[in-house]
Amino acid sequence: MLSWSSAQTGDTADLTAVAAGAGDTHHDHGDALLRFATACAERDDDELAAARQALVDETDEAFMVDAAAVAGNFEMMTRLADATGARLPEPVLEERAQAIGVMGVGGLTSRR
Amino acid sequence: MGNPVIRDDLAEAHRLAWEHIASPGTWWTAAQRVELARTVELAIDDDEPLPPWVGVTASDRLPAERVAPDAAHDIAYRIGRHAGTITEDIARAAMEQIGELPYVELCAIASSVGAVVHFCRNIGIEVPDFPEPTEGEPTRRHPELATAELNWVPVAAPADAWAAVVQAYTAVPAEQTNTWRMADAQYMPVAEMIHPDWMRRPGGLSRPQTELVAARVAQLRECFY
Repeated sequence: MLSWSSAQTGDTADLTAVAAGAGDTHHDHGDALLRFATACAERDDDELAAARQALVDETDEAFMVDAAAVAGNFEMMTRLADATGARLPEPVLEERAQAIGVMGVGGLTSRR
Repeated sequence: MGNPVIRDDLAEAHRLAWEHIASPGTWWTAAQRVELARTVELAIDDDEPLPPWVGVTASDRLPAERVAPDAAHDIAYRIGRHAGTITEDIARAAMEQIGELPYVELCAIASSVGAVVHFCRNIGIEVPDFPEPTEGEPTRRHPELATAELNWVPVAAPADAWAAVVQAYTAVPAEQTNTWRMADAQYMPVAEMIHPDWMRRPGGLSRPQTELVAARVAQLRECFY
């Protein structure tokens, strides 16, 4: 979806940075967003508080809340997909082969 | 930083989600739903999580007196903490023990709890307690069902007309409604997904910024989909 939306808006999505959790994402506030998203999914409360404050300082509180809601949504959708065995059709897998490689997710248990 | 302001539509979606959990479901009573939701919350918060292959009912982490079956608690904990490790064999074993449609309903409870608990942690506020379970019996009604190629669970007919994540809960319509009401508020309305320049408000997250957050969380949760 990141590749698709970036291509549609004329931006360049750098999945390498997203996969690594660091680097130039080529998006406004990308560094702060990537740090915050990473902290949301990990378990270091001090880092989460620091990443939250850094994002607010760079944007505003409403922007941070929106990002937190997106992260929460994907806590929901990943559980939905993994518990119900959601599968991508073969043509979609072929379209996304490059992104799957860059993100390093091809060998996950959740690949069905 | 004090408690951040949460926009009205998002606060309302989460309030309704908690109210929904504490109401009689399609296959589980309200008391069972709240009990299972607490197990999911325990799994997410657990500082010393059980490994995926150990059932939480074999530990001393749950109340001794329970109204939902052990198999439901065990899979609830696993979805809550180790969803990326669930294989088809594990899901089918759980469905054999608790029933296919009760399994779908349980998945929906677990996924909605995951969203709210993590959102609260993300913005630094306490997770609200669940409301008192309300009285009433499960409706036990379902739409015409079909076997899906794109999911392990049965779905409302016709199968595979939509993406796997969209059809996953259609066999339990009340859960489908709650889940997608939450997604509308947390991510974006389904109707807007084809619009790459959609923004919730001026100055808000752009579509690529939204997908950046989504991609990073999904990767760290080891979710291939």
